[in-house]
Amino acid sequence: MHPFGDLSAYLDGALSPETRASVQAHLDACALCRRRLAELRGTARLIAALPAPVPSRSLVPRVSVPVWLAPLRTFSTFASGAAVFLFLASAVVSSFPRMTSAGSAPAAAPAPAASALDTRGGATAATSSPNASLSDPEKRAAPAAATASPGAAFNVVTPSPVPAPAERTVTADQAVKTRQDAGSAAPSSDVALAARSERGGDQAPFNPFPWVWLALGVTFAALSFFLGRRLRST
Amino acid sequence: MGPDAGGATEALLDRARRGDARAFERLALELERPLYRHAARMLGHDDAEDCVQDALLSAWKSLASFEGTSFRAWVFRIVTNRALDRLRSRRRHPELPLDPPAEDDDSAGWAEPAAPGPELADLASDREALRVVEEALAHIPADQRAALLLRDVEGFAYEEIATITSTEIGTVKSRIHRGRLAVRNILISRGWRGSSG
Repeated sequence: MHPFGDLSAYLDGALSPETRASVQAHLDACALCRRRLAELRGTARLIAALPAPVPSRSLVPRVSVPVWLAPLRTFSTFASGAAVFLFLASAVVSSFPRMTSAGSAPAAAPAPAASALDTRGGATAATSSPNASLSDPEKRAAPAAATASPGAAFNVVTPSPVPAPAERTVTADQAVKTRQDAGSAAPSSDVALAARSERGGDQAPFNPFPWVWLALGVTFAALSFFLGRRLRST
Repeated sequence: MGPDAGGATEALLDRARRGDARAFERLALELERPLYRHAARMLGHDDAEDCVQDALLSAWKSLASFEGTSFRAWVFRIVTNRALDRLRSRRRHPELPLDPPAEDDDSAGWAEPAAPGPELADLASDREALRVVEEALAHIPADQRAALLLRDVEGFAYEEIATITSTEIGTVKSRIHRGRLAVRNILISRGWRGSSG
């Protein structure tokens, strides 16, 4: 009686000591079983020698997130909120009606500017007549009126109030020239600067900032959204 | 993973159990290739990648319920179960058993070579023999294939294979023997001959 069924287990060392001893004794006496055992051993070796298939991509699931991900998302959310708030604030402020401010230094600007408001309505900046100081503030005033709605800020691009000191050196001529280039962001003249400096409801005539803030707000909101998805996917 | 890596693996496993996702990823990285080769031989290349990735994700999610000592055996269990489930769902005729009816292991089942041929034991480097073995493995029943791969390729002990396949050691022994016998018979039928002993 050949213990064929035990040969694999014998090969794998999985027999109890008693069974192993009895199979060993049989093998010593049985050439057929020795041959069968060798065949099984050869088969096992061939299986072990098979070339291992390799995956075409990483199979490790991404369960960890970089440590900076969650704080960045928090920051992005707050930045988005702040940017949207600034967008609304700058839009609201730029829609305030102009108030005449008699005491300021180049006071000629606001006064004709006020009258220009009435006459021009929503006129654009790149008008034809390059003229002396009067039309200069008029051109600037008209876009200022136009920015009553934030959409009109597109009509003219004005530099921000921030680079204030440098602008004082710009001559009126240069300012006029740049005004005629629609969309140019040349530094404003003294007058425009003075106009902006009067904070009593006066807004800078050409202010891109509402839209800059809105763009920032949307960008940060999108960043928060995608970072949040990454955080939730783990 | 040899015994030398045991200490480092234990440390990683402790950290992973406490929620360290990076530690788990490193553990998974060590097992990625063995798991894939096992799944690929069980399922074929097509489904193997998804099988392994899903299994690793499932392992991460249920890591808290892992209480045993062999993380490797535990993950292999998840992969093997998924592979067998996938094979069952692939079958168009679910009434086909995964294992043929039990036979008397001592009965004939040993094919005889038709004519003398190369010795089995010398053919490990022969591409043709390996190709025949690969093909043979794909045709034996899935349960036998799983046990045989876990034993001969992955080196698990019979007890571990019993745990991985949720069966008894006697069943493992039977499946391994019948699986090897089936592969041996196919080799013999292709003209190979076992060594004379």
